[in-house]
Amino acid sequence: MGLHEHILTDPVIEMELRELIPCRPDQTVATAVDTMKLSRLGCVVVIDDAGKPIGKFTERHLMKIIDQPKTLDDPLEKHMTPCQSIVNQNEPVQKLIDIMRDRDSRFVCVVDDAGKAVALTGAKGVLEYVTEHFPRVVKVQMMQGKLFFDQREGA
Amino acid sequence: MPIRKTIYNDFQGSSSPRRKRRGVQPGDFQDPLSDYSPPQFDDDLEQDLAELTIADMDAWPPLVVAPTDSIENAIKRMREDDFGCVLVIDSENKLVGIFSERDVLNKIAGHFEATRKLPVSVVMTHNPVVIYDSDPPAKALNMMAIGSFRHLAVLDADDKPIGILGPRRVNAFLQKYFS
Repeated sequence: MGLHEHILTDPVIEMELRELIPCRPDQTVATAVDTMKLSRLGCVVVIDDAGKPIGKFTERHLMKIIDQPKTLDDPLEKHMTPCQSIVNQNEPVQKLIDIMRDRDSRFVCVVDDAGKAVALTGAKGVLEYVTEHFPRVVKVQMMQGKLFFDQREGA
Repeated sequence: MPIRKTIYNDFQGSSSPRRKRRGVQPGDFQDPLSDYSPPQFDDDLEQDLAELTIADMDAWPPLVVAPTDSIENAIKRMREDDFGCVLVIDSENKLVGIFSERDVLNKIAGHFEATRKLPVSVVMTHNPVVIYDSDPPAKALNMMAIGSFRHLAVLDADDKPIGILGPRRVNAFLQKYFS
């Protein structure tokens, strides 16, 4: 079975998903920034009381307000954008890819059947998925190679 | 002298490869690649990942600043052009660093007033990982998916930065194989 067939049949939940770090809309931007730093994630998902995603705050949002230090004390809901990039964990990977393309989104929130946010994935998740399908051409690559050696090898 | 003599003796010896080669007739030539079997690929994407080049992936032209440019200016450029990073190049057009949204998150957030006038070289990532335009796309995937580098500076054979490759660009390249 080729990659195309896998994409059509593999559910999103079988991918390597990121742990989702949820935030509440009344939490401050500073709290979200600290969370992103600690979890080494470029995005936090804002959820409501039922655990459903209602917004997201990313590094790109931070870039827009970085020169206004007072905004760090604002509630997240003031600077987040609605979380429209959502995929059900049981839907095929193709659905995730379509959402990323149609919404030009780097992050996609993964939800369960009840609509609760359970994980985060996105562009990097898709790259990891493709890598796992072609290990013999991708995993053999040198990480930091040079075209030419600085010094001659040998004596 | 002794060394020369040794070489001469080897040449004269009956076991010398040169002497043996003299006995090979033109009709005896065998193509050294006659038993070469090219790699077999199961999928078009697998083949293209191995055989195309980064140049085929249409990396974005780089957004560049000088090491002495202020952090405030670098952020302004990134915001205006909607880029996730800038390449920092010296006066000889050599790549010396990269400054990205992740640097803004980790080093600038909460300290903007204190850092905005500082040169970007203070907070940039020095000697970033790079990829050459002649490298295969598989290498970009390796560096991003396994190495966790989000932005790769694309260099030409003269080590001059000619582009930036990010996950969105790589995903755009992969899209045609997904549908």
